[in-house]
Amino acid sequence: MKFMHDAVSILRKDILLEIRGKESLSLMLFLSLLFLVIFNFALDIDKENVSLLASGILWVIFSFTGILGMGRTSMSERDEEAYLSIVFSPVSAESFYAGKVLSNLLFLLLMEAFTLVFFAVLFDFEKIIGMLPQLLPVLLLGTLGFALVGTLFSFLATASRYGEVLLPFLYLPVVVPVILGGVSSMDIILNGKPGGPGRWLQIMAVFDMLYLSISLLLFRYIIED
Amino acid sequence: MNIIELRGVGKQYHSKTALSGIDMSIGEGDSVTVFGPNGAGKTTLLKIISGLMQATRGKTFYNNKVYSESDIKKEVFYLGHKTALYNALTVQENMNFICRLFSLDHRGKSIENALRDHGLWERRMDPVNELSQGMKKRLALAKGFITNPEVFILDEPFTGLDLGWRSSVLSKIKNIRKRGKSVVISTHLVEEGYALADRVAFLHKGKLLFIKKKEEAEIGEIYSLFDSLGENIR
Amino acid sequence: MKTNRIIIFLFLSLLILMPLDFFLIFRVAPTERVMGDVQRIFYLHISLAMAAFLSLTVVFISSIIFLWKKDLKWDTAASVSAEIGVLFATLVLITGSLWARPIWNVWWTWDPRLLTVLILWFIYIGYFLLRGGIADRFRKAQYSAVIGIIGYVDIPVVRYATKWWKSIHPLLTKQGGGLDPVMKKVMFFSMATFFVLTVFLFLFRFRLARMEERLLILKKRMED
Ligand SMILES: Nc1ncnc2c1ncn2[C@@H]1O[C@H](COP(=O)(O)OP(=O)(O)O)[C@@H](O)[C@H]1O
Ligand SMILES: [Mg+2]
Repeated sequence: MKFMHDAVSILRKDILLEIRGKESLSLMLFLSLLFLVIFNFALDIDKENVSLLASGILWVIFSFTGILGMGRTSMSERDEEAYLSIVFSPVSAESFYAGKVLSNLLFLLLMEAFTLVFFAVLFDFEKIIGMLPQLLPVLLLGTLGFALVGTLFSFLATASRYGEVLLPFLYLPVVVPVILGGVSSMDIILNGKPGGPGRWLQIMAVFDMLYLSISLLLFRYIIED
Repeated sequence: MNIIELRGVGKQYHSKTALSGIDMSIGEGDSVTVFGPNGAGKTTLLKIISGLMQATRGKTFYNNKVYSESDIKKEVFYLGHKTALYNALTVQENMNFICRLFSLDHRGKSIENALRDHGLWERRMDPVNELSQGMKKRLALAKGFITNPEVFILDEPFTGLDLGWRSSVLSKIKNIRKRGKSVVISTHLVEEGYALADRVAFLHKGKLLFIKKKEEAEIGEIYSLFDSLGENIR
Repeated sequence: MKTNRIIIFLFLSLLILMPLDFFLIFRVAPTERVMGDVQRIFYLHISLAMAAFLSLTVVFISSIIFLWKKDLKWDTAASVSAEIGVLFATLVLITGSLWARPIWNVWWTWDPRLLTVLILWFIYIGYFLLRGGIADRFRKAQYSAVIGIIGYVDIPVVRYATKWWKSIHPLLTKQGGGLDPVMKKVMFFSMATFFVLTVFLFLFRFRLARMEERLLILKKRMED
């Protein structure tokens, strides 16, 4: 299918760009590690409270680090107006968007995997790795929400005079439902709280579907000059 | 048959009128050169022709119907002031990516030929950010040669090139014309622009002073227009 | 000219409606038994929330029309409406806080509705930050229309998510039952007044913004 073929071409290009330029993912990994260290000082994490604090800490890191990374990948498109080579091609605006979402999703998931491992190591909390199968739907739905909004907004913000600085202001309020869902359902899973994460997963899925359809419609307007 | 036609096109940036009352058409195999001093509105005009920018007045027609961007953008090769290259990727990787976007075979000879033609074959393994400005420009042009679109829109294709490469790029653009493609370029280099044109246009303060067949416009006329505007271009 | 007349008419009506509204709220409406006089803020709070929501709906609709028609007047409509929406949302937050203080003895309560307004407030502040950062008038319009649409669509999701979040972390619940008939009438009158105020502010700001734009263009033409 042409739509997927085009999206994957863009994903491949972004992976190559990351290997060559090391601009986005490596930056995210570094920042995430830094966050973990700072949280350790700020919250005095120990064996007793780590399980309760984990989901909050992790989702703060995911959202802040993620938005920085997505800003970087958009900058690499804006530099030299490289994205115009995609605009002036048979690739539709929709597959362009889909391709960027895929690459952002991939980099964010890698960052999250790295963060989880380091969290487990630094705070002696191996349990979280063991619970990965239960956590996976939460991570996937939440990260998809991040990528869907982040791809659109990072492309938009990098066109402004303030560039990436503007990004958190636009992005964070909009993804509040995802952050709420991510934190709450991870908390429910890690601490075995009653009720289960079902409703939160639903909320995140609705968010994802809503923003997938709207962003597909709107992306074309932000690649025009 | 007109590929692109502008009727009464105007463009308003916040408070600045960059273009007004532009009527022009680009036919199949047509070659139009837009002259004009800095700030005349050349870039704005070319962006509107290419479909990249929306006019604030007037209408743009593509194949005689109001175009949707999806129609035109795959038929246009647009080269603006920036090169539209990925700086961190190598020359070869940039070309491969373009081939993927156009679903072309990137293993065949076409990339090699295009790169050899533009003097970049030896540098194919180098990342773009290690190339000189002139090389980047040539690489950007080389992309247009493998994708083979109907219309080439080149905004000041000669700037940043030294004399030698200038004449080489000139002959490349002439080749494009021989293949029956339409070419629209903007420049303030009278010699080169004139040599390429079927029709010449002169833009000043957002208005077309004229657009006419080359036979009806002496090259001296364009020189003296530039002179009278106080532009030093010789 | 016709709009001018409407603006003047609305202004004159507001000269009567606003004082009357305050009179009804503070003199006519009965004092609430549990909360006392503080409950009167409630009328303003709800009316302001309605006005803010109305303004943001106008932003949403104008943004869609702009992307469709590409006529900058719709962008002007969206941006002045967003201004009014942010203004009202700010007042909603302030009245909410004034309300929380005597009733629950806190300056801020993480009530889902109030929280939704706060998040909206952030989104539309972002809308203006973005507008400030883009020089090209058309691009500014195009991009902020995208935010105007995305932000509005977020409202129900944020509303639902915060409500669900709150149902798990119960902190404070609003007490007090339904409103008595007089209270209902006062509430209705207050909402109607703020509706008129919103329409007036919108038309007035819109007219002013259009004139500013025309003036700027004329000035530029004189310079050239
Ligand atoms: N994004 C923009 N915002 C405001 N004014 C602009 C913008 N782009 C160009 N202009 C103005 O419009 C006029 C025409 O610009 P341009 O099309 O770049 O001319 P040229 O390419 O002939 O030098 C200039 O006066 C320029 O300052
Ligand atoms: Mg220019």
